[in-house]
This record gives sequence, structure tokens and C-alpha cells, in this order.
Amino acid sequence: MKHLCLLFAFAICLAGCHRDKSSAATAPTLHLFAWSEYVPREVIDGFTKETGIPVDYEVYDTNEKMLAKLAPGSAQYDIIQPSEYMVEHLIKRKMVAPLDLAQIPNLSNLLPEFRNLAYDPGNQYSVPYMSGTVGIIINTDKVKEPVRGYADVFQEKYRKRIIALEDNREMVSWAFATRGIAINDVTPENLAKVKPMLREWVKMVKLFNSDDPKALLIRDEVDLGIVYSGEAAKLMDQDKRFKYVLPAEGAHRFIDNLCIPAGSKNKGAAMQFINYILRPEVSKIISDRFPYTNPNAAARKLLSDGQRANPASYPPDAGNLELFRDIGKANADVSVLMTELRS
Amino acid sequence: MDKMVELRNVTKRFGGFVAVAGVDLDIRAGEFLTLLGPSGCGKTTLLRMISGFETPTEGSVHLAGQDVTALPPYRRDVNQVFQSYALFPHLSVADNVAFGLKMKKTPGDVIRRRVAEAIEMVSLAGFEQRKPAQLSGGQRQRVALARALVCEPKVLLLDEPLAALDAKLRRSMQIELKRLQTRLGITFLFVTHDQEEALVMSDRIAVVNKGKIEQIGGVEEIYHRPRTPFVADFIGQANILEARVLSCVGAWAQVLCRGDVGLTVAGEILAAEGTTLLSIRPEKIRLSSRRPAGENVLEATVHEEIFRGATDQLLLQTAGGFELTAIVANQSAAEEAFHQGDRVFCQLHPDDVVVLAREGGVNAVAARQT
Amino acid sequence: MTSTTLASPQSTRRPGWRAWVAFSPLLVWLAAFVVVPTGMLFVYSFFKNAGYSEVERVFTLGNYALAFSPDYLGNFARSTAYAGLTTILCALIGYPVAYHIGRAPAGRRNRLLMLIMIPFMTSFLIRTFAWTTILDHQGVLNTLLRALQIIPVLLNDKFEVLHTPAAVMIVLVYTYLPFMILPVYGSVEKLDESLLEAASDLGAGPARTFVRVVLPLTMPGVGAGVLMVFVPAVAMFAVTHVMSGGTVYLIGDVIEDQFGSGGNLPFGSALGMVLLVGFIATFFLFTRREKTT
Repeated sequence: MKHLCLLFAFAICLAGCHRDKSSAATAPTLHLFAWSEYVPREVIDGFTKETGIPVDYEVYDTNEKMLAKLAPGSAQYDIIQPSEYMVEHLIKRKMVAPLDLAQIPNLSNLLPEFRNLAYDPGNQYSVPYMSGTVGIIINTDKVKEPVRGYADVFQEKYRKRIIALEDNREMVSWAFATRGIAINDVTPENLAKVKPMLREWVKMVKLFNSDDPKALLIRDEVDLGIVYSGEAAKLMDQDKRFKYVLPAEGAHRFIDNLCIPAGSKNKGAAMQFINYILRPEVSKIISDRFPYTNPNAAARKLLSDGQRANPASYPPDAGNLELFRDIGKANADVSVLMTELRS
Repeated sequence: MDKMVELRNVTKRFGGFVAVAGVDLDIRAGEFLTLLGPSGCGKTTLLRMISGFETPTEGSVHLAGQDVTALPPYRRDVNQVFQSYALFPHLSVADNVAFGLKMKKTPGDVIRRRVAEAIEMVSLAGFEQRKPAQLSGGQRQRVALARALVCEPKVLLLDEPLAALDAKLRRSMQIELKRLQTRLGITFLFVTHDQEEALVMSDRIAVVNKGKIEQIGGVEEIYHRPRTPFVADFIGQANILEARVLSCVGAWAQVLCRGDVGLTVAGEILAAEGTTLLSIRPEKIRLSSRRPAGENVLEATVHEEIFRGATDQLLLQTAGGFELTAIVANQSAAEEAFHQGDRVFCQLHPDDVVVLAREGGVNAVAARQT
Repeated sequence: MTSTTLASPQSTRRPGWRAWVAFSPLLVWLAAFVVVPTGMLFVYSFFKNAGYSEVERVFTLGNYALAFSPDYLGNFARSTAYAGLTTILCALIGYPVAYHIGRAPAGRRNRLLMLIMIPFMTSFLIRTFAWTTILDHQGVLNTLLRALQIIPVLLNDKFEVLHTPAAVMIVLVYTYLPFMILPVYGSVEKLDESLLEAASDLGAGPARTFVRVVLPLTMPGVGAGVLMVFVPAVAMFAVTHVMSGGTVYLIGDVIEDQFGSGGNLPFGSALGMVLLVGFIATFFLFTRREKTT
């Protein structure tokens, strides 16, 4: 009996680690569900200070994880941050609400090339937040041979020295590009073609990390790998040993957007937030903290020359970049393949 | 005479508490010796120093001539029957009994034979495969006995092994144990607080009090010639009287009790004048309605009469002003019966009046007399 | 108490309405958080995956076929091996600790038990991250090894425990150790001192006393500990990911991913059902064995 009591004490201790969410403010809280390491604290605090609307920030590290938590019709979140192909998918499933562009006058701050894109003509559902690429980071102290593409990264000599994004679709796209397959041409046949190569690649990776690869690279835990351009840009600012390379075989250019889930009960505040983000001075803060490609023309003018010259943020030679398209049910095949390879 | 166990000036202290204080004790080969005393007197600690579970703070323990003071229990050729029996609950009766032989690496066929014999000896044939939980208290007691005896120890140590049994079973086990010991010829060291048990079974009794042996001797000697008030009182019943020594002539002494009652007593150990204590067993007091001839006759009144079955206990108020307890055979069919209020004459035979030493006084001498 | 002992066997078998009322919170809880979700898992495991966390409500055995394909059987085996090794190490480390606590005097015993419980006062994830700062390349462990000149004399400068299977094992053992210690402690505490003396008296030295008496009598505690460590360790996730950097990808991680990035609810459900059946089988195997001994 005494031991049962002890076990209960354990259970209570374990249960005691939940967070206390107190909402003393009057305005209903805006629930932001966004990528980790992507929305600066100052921006959120600035918005709350100005509008009195408290913001709750929950994070994810892949589009698919976000989707899994976003039950259709759920009022759990007011703003989400899907990438281009996920926007396309969400529109198809009617999981995002149309925007009232009259409430988002700052949309005009965006560069023309980031407006009216194929996945959401007329910006009916989405407003670009940041853009970037997926490319190769190299510690030039440790890696002396030239690295131009994915095939140069995944070599036996770099076994267990490689870091990679933990994202099934990304990794499959690297293999596709290497084999000369269009990255959006996800079919069972093409997946079967890259399977043996991917099996080898998975074994060479030391770390799968999408959140914070910088720290691991600076500590010399890994010497090269495939990361988001914003992480690379920040790393190169901090440590001159690092170099960012866009893979010669072609790379994924992503555009992350702000959208409002169809079930949101707080759409007015959400649009207020989107408009706030599009202010040049606010957008600049985001670039300062997370140096991805800023789609905001007015904000870019506020950046320093050094920021604009960072080749990871603003690649001089845009090269062979491509957006992801919604692949629908084929995502299931990607998931099954990658799960099997990692198991 | 072979000495199987010798304790030499053994002392055991637990922190500031002295459990055993400088005890010397010899146990003869083949005898049944009982350590008798009240709880907390140190008798169990004495036993545990022989089994090896306690190490003496001072002094030494010898077993069959060998100094075993520093040896752990598993290297000593003694076995113990525990008060709680301490049977291994996960082993069958046969495996419990075989345990000690297995530890000694005895060949399998020898183990089987001796285990069967031991189980037969304690009349448990047919119970070999039972677990201890499936046995009665008496049966468990027998298993514990068989488990210890099968090892053929030099000394069998028994720590109040009968305490958990009911009165009737205890009495039959007492006799059974004594017979077994006589038949096997193994030295038994038995610990008990039950004086009757000690008297029934023992060859000799060592009476232990406050960490010391007050007296050691044969059963009759301990009973009839207690040396101290403690021994006299602890074993059987005793009337203890305080008396002043008047004179000491040869083997006889004249003493004076309260109320100026003069008595003649056997006085060989009565050295000097002064006060002394006398002990007289209640059943040794002879009662009559008419004054008998002879010495040591006291006049008294029956104050209380207690029916005790086979005997009657009478509380007597003497003319001298002190009380005496007398025990007589059941009076219902007696020719001469005494009842409450009757006047009686008590005669104390000089041989029955035992002169006691003051506590501690003769203790050391008594303990060394073996 | 008296009424139940006096009651006929029939009435003790059928609890009255009072008992049902007393049990109702538990039954509601069980229904809401165990029966219904398990039922949903069971149903989902026969649906077809339609990508991105969507399902087609079409009956298929494909998820189970996949779950029993060589890759996943291998994964089950690897997860079982990790859990098995965790259990063995917990038993080897936990037993002496539990024994020591169980044989200590009462006052000290409670203080020692407190020490075992203290880690549970902080969040499990925080404790896991604390381990990363101990085991990483510039962490406490490596600093110590460098101070002792073990790095670079015996180990090279790249030596790191974090992000290796060893790191996963360390944290698994760390996490589950108390779940071994407590039940073993329970059975050691009940051990009768006189049995140890009896063994010693009959000629068994400390080692043989342990093997012949102590171990068999504390086996029920070890059995309970094994169950309490092994079962949750098989399905462990998140910790494995943090400590290995995503390269030790055990069945718990696979299942978690099916409900997250993988978006494959039917397959995740099927793997969950397989694991559940495995647990139930293990449990019955254990309880049956205990009854026979």
C-alpha cells in the first residue's frame, strides 16, 4: 500500500509539469501556430503593446506536423504559417479562410514577384511572410574539397559528419534533383528509383535537425549539411568559416505565408496581425533576427548593405530554384518511404 | 570431561548498554544446558555469540577446543533452531532440510538419504514436497529441527523454539526434544524464559540475570539450593525472609527473623555475622494443627486459601508478623485440612531453609562452579 | 470488512450498486481515455491512408502487412533490444541500490527514498535536456575527461557521447531506474532478517545466501520492476530523438511521426495496435509465470 502511495506521488509530480496559461487580458488571445525560430519575440510583444491583443505562440518544425494538428474546422489557431505547397493543399481542402484585403493595406509593400503567385492567385488566402532556399552549408576548415551539389555532400568520407533537415519531402527532393527527376514529380515509380540511394544517405547523416542546426555546426559536431538559408545566413555572420552553396542539381525555394484557418474565431485580429507584419519597420526586425529572403520591398530598403549582401539571404545567382507543389495523396508514399528508410 | 563450548570472560556491549558482562561458561559435550532468564537478560545475546551472529566486545568463544571468536556463522560447526523457525518460504520441506548439506557440498545421494532420515526422525514423512506455508506451527518447528540436526552440528542452539506453540503441544515437544537429545548425544544449548520448560528438559541450567550468570548447576541443585534471591524467586516459588545471624556453630547457625523468631539453618556458607536472606520453598513447609516436636516451629493463621487444582496454596500470617506461602496437596480428601481463619503450626526443616547470598555477592563464585 | 467476509461467495462476486457508484469515476475515466481511443485506433488501423493526415474509409489490411514487413519487424526488434538492455541495466544498477535502501535503518531509508524521488519534481523533458548539456562535445563529461587527460590521451578530441546510441541508453536507464528500484525495494524491505541468518547458520556465505535466499525471495519485486521498465521503454519516443539527434529511430518515434510529419494515421494506428497486443501478451506471460512459481 505504501508503495502505491509512492507511485501516486510520482504521478502527481509528472502531472505537475503542465504550463499555466493565464489570460488576464481583456481582448481574446490570438493563437499563432508558426515555425520554430521564425517569429521574433519583439514583433509579437510590439503587436500586443499596440493593440492590446495577447498572442500565444506555438511552434512546429514541418508543414506536415502543422497540418496534422490543424483539425478541419478547429478554432484552436488563428494564424498559421504554411509553405507554398501547403497553402495550395489547404485551399483545396478549404481549411483556410479567404482574406479581406481591404484590411491588409500593407500588402502593397510586397515585391511584385511575391504577389499573385500560382499557388494562390490574387492572394485570396495567403500573404508571404519570408522566403528562402534549402541549400548546403560547409565548414571550409573541415571540408577542403569543393562541394557543389547533394552528391558531393552524401559521400562516404563525410559519413556521420552530416546534418540534414528532418523533413521527409525535402530529403526526397534532394534525391530527385540528384537523379535528374523534377522535384514535384512525386510518383511511386520515381520514389522507387531513389530509394536505394536514399537508404545510403540516411545512414550517413549524424543529425536530423530542422530547428537549430547553427549551434551544432559552430560546435564542430558536424562539418557540412543541408539547412535553411536563414540559418546559413546567420551562421555566416557569426563565423566566417562557413559557406552556403545552392546545389547545382537544383534547389527548393520556399515561400512561407501567413494564413487564417477556416475555423478561426478571431479573424479580425488575425488580419490586423498580418497587416502589422507587413509594416516595413516590423518586417525589418524579422530580417534582423532571421535573415531569410524578405519579400517586403519597403523593408528591404531599411536593411544594411551587409544584410543585403549576404549571399545566403539574397543569392546573387538565383540558379535553378523551384517551388514545391501540392502532391496530395503522394505525400503518403513519401512518408511511408522515409519512415521505412529511417526505421 | 570434554568441554564442547567455552566462553572466556565474554562481554557484549551495544552502544552504552551492556548485554553480557564478563561471562565464563563451559558446556560439556553431550549435555543439555539451558540458559534461563527473563527477557532482556542477555541469554539470547550469549547464544548468538556462540552461533556467530554477534561478536563479543571482549573475551573469546571456543568450540571443541578451537577459538572461533572471529569466525562468521557459516564457518562454525553449530546450528540453530530459530524462534521464528526461519524456514525458507520458497523451498519445500525437503529442500529446506537439504540446504545445509548442499552448502557443505555433500554428494547428492548422501543428501537424499540423510534428508529422508532427518524427516523420518521428526515424523514428517510424506510432507517432503510441502512448502512451509502449508504446514502447522508444530510441523514447521519439526522442519526447523530437522534442518539443523541433519548437519550433525557439534552444538545445537535452540532459541526459545517452543515459544510459539500452544501449551499442550509445547509440553509434548519438550519431552520429545529431550528424548531426541539423549538418543543423538548432541550437545544442546537451549534458551528459554520458561522455568518449567528448563526444569523438564535440562541436565544443567544456567540462570542469567542482567548480563551475568547468577548460578549454574544441575536441575535439582538449582531448584533446591538456589544461591541468590533472584534464582530462588525466578525458579519455582520461594518465601524469602530476612534474618540476622546470631551464632554459627559447625554446620549449623542460629538466626533471628522479624518478630524475634529464631531459626536453625544449615550454615556452611554463612561466614560472618550480620543479616542474611533465607529461602524456603512453599511445598517444604509442613503444616499441622498441633504443635509438632522439633526445631523451627512457627505459629500462624491461614489468611487466604487458593485452589490450584492438584495443590492448594495457603497464605499464612505468622505470629512474628511476616507472611509465608505454603503449598499442600489438594485438601478435599485430606485427613487434616486447613481453611481460612484456622490456626496452624508450620515447621521449617533446617535442611530446607536455604541461606542466600546478597545479590551479586557470591555471583562470581557461583558462576565458576561447574 | 466483516460484511464481505461474512457474505456468501455469490454476493462477493457481484458488486452491489454502491460499488458501481464508487467505481463510476474510474469507469468513466477508463471509457473516455482508454476504451474509446483504443477503439478508434483499432478502427483507423483498417483504413487507407490518403496522405497529409487524411484517411479513406476503405477496409484494408495493408497497414498490418506493412507493420509486419521486414523493415518494421527489424525496428520492433531494435526497440525491444533497447528496452531489454535498459531493463537489464536498470536491474543491475537498481538492485544493489534497492537492496541497500531496503536494509538501511528506517530513518535513513526514508531519506534515501526521497533522494530517488527528487528528480521527479522537475519536468521530464527538462531533465532530458539537462543530459544534453552533460554529454555534448563541450559538456560536463568531456570537460572532466579533458581535465583527467583521458582526452586526448585515451580518446580523441572528437569524442562525444551525445548523439550516439550510448546517449539514448544513458537517458533511458536514468529515466526508468526508479521504476526498478521502488518495486525491488518493496520486496527487500519485506525480507525477514532471520532467513539470512538461517542461511549463514547453515553454512552459506554472503554470495550463496544472496543467490539461494535473497534473490529468489526478491524475484517478485524484480519481476514487477522489469514490467514497469520494459513496457514503457519499448514505446519511448522524443528522448530517443533528442539524445541521438534523430538517428536512433525506434518504434515510439515511428508511431509519433505517423501522427505528425508522416501524416499516416492508419499506419500509426496499426503499429500502436501491434505494440498494444505485444504489451498485453508480455503482461500475461509475466503474471502467469509468477503464479506458477
